[in-house]
Amino acid sequence: MSGPESGTTGGDWGEGRDRRGRGGSGGAASDDAVIGPGYYGIPAIHKPHWKWLIIFYFYFGGIAGAAYAVATIADAVGASEDRRIGRIGRYLSFAALLPSPILLVLDLGRPERFFLMFRVLKLRSPMSLGTWGLTAFGGFSALSVAAQAAVDGRLGDGFVGRRAQQLPIQALGVAGTPLALFVAGYTGVLLAATAVPLWTKRALLLGPLFLASAFSSAVSAIELIVALMPSTPAATRHRLTRLGVSTLFAEAAIFIAWRNGLGPTGRPLGEGATGRVVRLGVVGGGIALPLVLQAVASVTTGGFARILSVVSSVSVLAGGLALRYVVVVAGNTSADDPRATLGMTAADGAPERLSTH
Amino acid sequence: MTLSTSDRSPLTGTTGARAGALGFLTDVSLCIGCKACEVACKQWNQLPADSGTGITGLTGFSYDNTVDLGATTWRHVAFVEQAATTVDRTWEAPGAPGSPTAWLMLSDVCKHCVHAGCLEACPTGAIVRTEFDTVVIQQDVCNGCGYCVPACPFGVPQLGDTDRKAHKCTLCYDRLVDGLEPACAKACPTESIRFGPIAELLPRALDRVEQLQERGVAGAHLYGDRAIGGTGGMEGLNALFVLTAPPEVFNLPAAPELPQRKVLPALVSTAIAAVAFILGSGAALRGRR
Amino acid sequence: MPGLGARLGRGGATTPLQDLANSDCVVIMGANMAENHPVGFRFVVQARERGATVIHVDPRFTRTSALSDVHVPLRAGSDMVFLGALINYVLQNRLYFEEYVKRYTNAPVIVGGEFRDTEDLAGLFSGYNPDERRYDPHSWRFAGQESSPALSDDPNQDAQAYNQRVGRTDHPLRTDPSLEDPRCVFQVVKRHFARYTPEMVERLCGVPTALFLSVAEAITKNSGADRTTSFAYAVAWTQHTTGTQMISCCAILQLLLGNIGRPGGGIMALRGHATIQGSTDIPTLYNLLPGYLPMPSTAERHATLASYLDAVRAPTGWWHNAPKYAVSLLKAYYGESAQEANDFAYDLLPKIGGDYSFQPMLLMMKDRALTGLFCMGQNPAVGGQNARLAREALAKLDWLVVRDIVETESATFWRDSPEVRDGSVRPEEIGTEIFVLPAALTPEKDGSYTNTQRLVQWHDKAVEPPGDARSEAWFVVDLARRLKDLYGEETTPAARQLAALSWYYPTDARGEPDLDAVVAEINGYAVADGTLVPGYDALRADGSTACGCWIYSGIMPEPGRNLARQRAGDARAALDWGFAWPANRRVLYNRASARPDGTPWSERKRWVWWDAGEGRWTGHDVPDFPVTKPPDYRPRDGAEGMDAHSGDAPFVMLADGKGQLYAAVGLRDGPLPTHYEPWETPVANRLYPDQERSPTAKLLERPDNPYHRPRDPRFPHVLTTYRLTEHHTAGAMSRFVPWLAELQPEGFAEIDPVLAARLQVSSRDPIVISTLRGEIETNALVTSRLQPLQVDGRPLHQVGLPWHYGFGGIATGAIANDLAALIEDPNSFIHEGKSFTCAVRAGRLDGRGDATQEGEGSP
Repeated sequence: MSGPESGTTGGDWGEGRDRRGRGGSGGAASDDAVIGPGYYGIPAIHKPHWKWLIIFYFYFGGIAGAAYAVATIADAVGASEDRRIGRIGRYLSFAALLPSPILLVLDLGRPERFFLMFRVLKLRSPMSLGTWGLTAFGGFSALSVAAQAAVDGRLGDGFVGRRAQQLPIQALGVAGTPLALFVAGYTGVLLAATAVPLWTKRALLLGPLFLASAFSSAVSAIELIVALMPSTPAATRHRLTRLGVSTLFAEAAIFIAWRNGLGPTGRPLGEGATGRVVRLGVVGGGIALPLVLQAVASVTTGGFARILSVVSSVSVLAGGLALRYVVVVAGNTSADDPRATLGMTAADGAPERLSTH
Repeated sequence: MTLSTSDRSPLTGTTGARAGALGFLTDVSLCIGCKACEVACKQWNQLPADSGTGITGLTGFSYDNTVDLGATTWRHVAFVEQAATTVDRTWEAPGAPGSPTAWLMLSDVCKHCVHAGCLEACPTGAIVRTEFDTVVIQQDVCNGCGYCVPACPFGVPQLGDTDRKAHKCTLCYDRLVDGLEPACAKACPTESIRFGPIAELLPRALDRVEQLQERGVAGAHLYGDRAIGGTGGMEGLNALFVLTAPPEVFNLPAAPELPQRKVLPALVSTAIAAVAFILGSGAALRGRR
Repeated sequence: MPGLGARLGRGGATTPLQDLANSDCVVIMGANMAENHPVGFRFVVQARERGATVIHVDPRFTRTSALSDVHVPLRAGSDMVFLGALINYVLQNRLYFEEYVKRYTNAPVIVGGEFRDTEDLAGLFSGYNPDERRYDPHSWRFAGQESSPALSDDPNQDAQAYNQRVGRTDHPLRTDPSLEDPRCVFQVVKRHFARYTPEMVERLCGVPTALFLSVAEAITKNSGADRTTSFAYAVAWTQHTTGTQMISCCAILQLLLGNIGRPGGGIMALRGHATIQGSTDIPTLYNLLPGYLPMPSTAERHATLASYLDAVRAPTGWWHNAPKYAVSLLKAYYGESAQEANDFAYDLLPKIGGDYSFQPMLLMMKDRALTGLFCMGQNPAVGGQNARLAREALAKLDWLVVRDIVETESATFWRDSPEVRDGSVRPEEIGTEIFVLPAALTPEKDGSYTNTQRLVQWHDKAVEPPGDARSEAWFVVDLARRLKDLYGEETTPAARQLAALSWYYPTDARGEPDLDAVVAEINGYAVADGTLVPGYDALRADGSTACGCWIYSGIMPEPGRNLARQRAGDARAALDWGFAWPANRRVLYNRASARPDGTPWSERKRWVWWDAGEGRWTGHDVPDFPVTKPPDYRPRDGAEGMDAHSGDAPFVMLADGKGQLYAAVGLRDGPLPTHYEPWETPVANRLYPDQERSPTAKLLERPDNPYHRPRDPRFPHVLTTYRLTEHHTAGAMSRFVPWLAELQPEGFAEIDPVLAARLQVSSRDPIVISTLRGEIETNALVTSRLQPLQVDGRPLHQVGLPWHYGFGGIATGAIANDLAALIEDPNSFIHEGKSFTCAVRAGRLDGRGDATQEGEGSP
């Protein structure tokens, strides 16, 4: 590359393969080739086509998995008055799961294409594992929500209702939670197991990051619902807040570790619109603001505290979506940047100039 | 990056290709950039011109107007112009590149990796390894999930604009089963593209590299063995290349990695995190019963 | 190619492409072989892999340069300086192949006393007539010769027919075997080239002396008894006002180095496109009959058959046989109507009364002297020089038939040409009635290609053509039938010609003629019983044989056995692959591959030799020599035809059988090559300051075809047009095909980085290139593969412009030939497309984005 301005980044090579995207500045088409590795700034790998459908799937799938896990844990260790956490969690999990297959089918374009996923199970393909995991988890989620609905009297006294009442909610939860956690976290693994620099550079942290975000989002969603419900015991709210705050701290820690570990590969996370979403959405809205709000809320009482809590939850939920968004978008940007790709795959001892600009 | 015989690693000239594997050897030092391979490929495989009509305009990237491998371009000739960086002619404009030193042309193609990222990523089993040790996407099985696309460290598979399925070089599977060589190799006028058993191509490639180095082409090296190109768990490529410049010049990664090597560690790290979250959640939610 | 014809005897490439693999050094000059002859280039690659040095001399660093060991950038149009300096280097350093030169060339022959060289006459040879811009070649004769030196010199015709270039010797040539006589050819040549020095190369070509010397060294080190150097050239030598002499200059060099007629040597005349060789062998030209027999002319003593045969029968050498071929051709044309009693219907053969070559034809069309045109496989609206004039000419026709595989620009110019689009011409003002007829593609018809090495290769139909598309043979056969019917019993000369025409080709259900019948006719047969002749030796002048093209005779020795179908290759001459004229010879003049005594020059370069035991010539190839003529044969006085040649005269077509270092006949611009600047040049001719440009170039200057004066400050850059691998000529076969169009989707011009910086343009920025003929807007492609040269102390920029593009099809672009001028080499009547001058500015034609205007006299 002849200089910073000559490196073509994602925008120029976005969808439609705009060939008119400039590879070099200042004239000679050969400049790039003359001065350094890379080929006219053309991406060295192909980025995936994934956009909002997949971003939302990552988001909802995460909430579904984490909410299920939280419900199970609440059932297991929570006080009796916390039972509503389990109840809300199961409903929330199922509600968040419902759009997932729809989003995936929409992404594939035709429903029958989705069934081809079930021809094989491939342990080294996170997509294959994920499809099976999601399906199996869907079963647990459905059974659990059916049981919950029956308990709540929503299925009536008919055959279905009576059968559903007999379902062992707690046992289902314990059995389904590993799958729930898998669904919440595998999407990070799915991204990590690609050639996209931003996803694969710190492959070990992407799954945990998505998992953490899933937890914080799910907990916030439960908090939000709880906050909107009348007569939730203060202790329950307190315990939920405690969980939410600790999740946020965990998410923040993983995010910082991941972001710093990326080094120059993480450049797209700091630049342009994506950078703003990272700063305002992921870090500000998703982590910092809720922590501040919760801190303020903890020394406040009454309706104001509740408003703060609601705002905090919404903020976390938005931050969770923002995280999925920036990871996908910044990943695509890094895939379009041959310096990132080739820098990451340089031979031992290759000059570091590839990965920095 | 410098490559020479002296610092050859024990992986140089080795591959994990199956006995009987068939593949390509593409030699940049013999390529005249005629693009007959591109056209023969499109004709045999009945691929449309890129973007349907094929006309999105001049790129200005030397003589390369098809830009990269993709759903409708399975052979792609890269054109790299190299020029002296110093000029001794005082009347020239400052900063202008000097006389041309080389014009490298390389016909890139799917690498048919010994362990292929696309194949391992494919959730439907559409991507298979054939009896020729080549990697082929079965079109009737592909569901267009697109996961193979970022799973390729070489940027080979791509979803088609019209059918939204993944496409890439089949190494002319339909010709191989009839005992014919792939269309691109057949069309190549200078034998820059050779087709044959990897067991024959690999020693030929090493001989060629040695020959070029003896002639003074210091940068000549093999791409696609375990030392370079077929690295990171891929155990070699079934499309070998003789290069005379660092691979990055052609947008080829020097030491790519099989993405699926990340799957197990990442699952483990995620599982550990999951356990931590369970314990943490349990602690946070613990209340009096 | 008169350049080769005058010096060696035949106009074709002297060697097959495969033979390039045997070269120790390949010099590609005036050609971009890898791009335009990629399949043939494989043999250059093979040679290089075997250790040969490959040298590419070209203004641009092309894909050929990329595969060469040395690239020599030189100024377009200065080739003769470079070649002349190589000759001078060889002569001054005594690096010529002495025995070869003494025995196989006319080096020892004494030149007549009237001859004056350009050294004596300030850049002109003796005999120049400035009013007619012509030479009278009588003063160029050899000593003691009295009659007119050539068989013919008809200014209306180019010099492709053999009678233009074959000399007439009426007395034995006087020689000095020691080569020391100051008037012997060797000394004349040496003096002539003395001023072509390495310093002059640096000054006029822009090639550094050291680089030139390294090339000279490589060539001379790889020539001699044990090694051979070959030259390959293409239209970048022919398309100059001095193109023929560039080629003939190369022939002199190769003769001096002993590289003609030997394996790995020779001159590879790369043809511009598929079967263009075939189209001069069995010509589509107005002035040639098949086999390079001259078309009768009103300007010659051609009124009767007897006078024609008398005029075209060379006293000595192979063309002594011309009457056999001419009469056999008339028998083939007119069949039963051609009898000895009526001079074989010779009176029906049209006689040329003017210059009907391509460029004058365009002017005639524009001037309404020609009002109808069949346009088949040609696209003059794009490919014609001064293409706007060509389109204006088409627009003046009454009718135009365009037979092509797509609707080319020549069929659509009336509705979408640039001048229609910009409103300066309105379609309703164009009265031409245009008929577009669909043509079959190569795989949709049987037929043959005669490629660059005179090799005829047959191809069979693979699929039926779509719809109404038909082969050319179908069209021509049917057209002639309809004309015969139409004219019926009329008694006009035209009707008599048509009625007499032997037109018997059987056709199939679709009306496609049986091409075996055509090939059989081309091969020749005995009139009495139709038996096919084994070769041209069997042809007779008494009307007992008929033959459509004597040089192809032998292609079908038995019914149904078409040798052009042969596909058995081998590592040597590959005699069983296709059929190469003449008589399936691959390396021409191969008698020269043996010493005068008939033994090979060296084991390594063994090719054809004398087998004393058998008493015949033998070897890897078909001997290009009377097969039983011993090496020590000496002609008796007054011998005629081949009997007049000695056993060491390899150049059998020529009067004396020797390579013509000095060609007394056949070249209208002098017996020796002389560097004249291109007609439009930014450079002063430092070699001949008093005669800067060709004194004989055929000028077609008129208001719609203006020329730039030398060093015109308005047009400071050299423009050279060229082709790309991805497209074919004027684009009908490529620009309309998506697979090919996408590879080079838009027109562009290559400019060097320095000029780009001065114009402040980058690749893909619009630039306008202009000449007095017109201006075009195209994309800049800035590349260091073009470099400014220092010529005569000043920087010189060259602009490279692919000429494929037009307004039709998928891949479009401005028409390069809109910039070119109609102007001709005096020998070949080929235009000067490889070197003329232009101006370049940034921005668009309509003035938008005119950031930088390049001022006059900018540095």
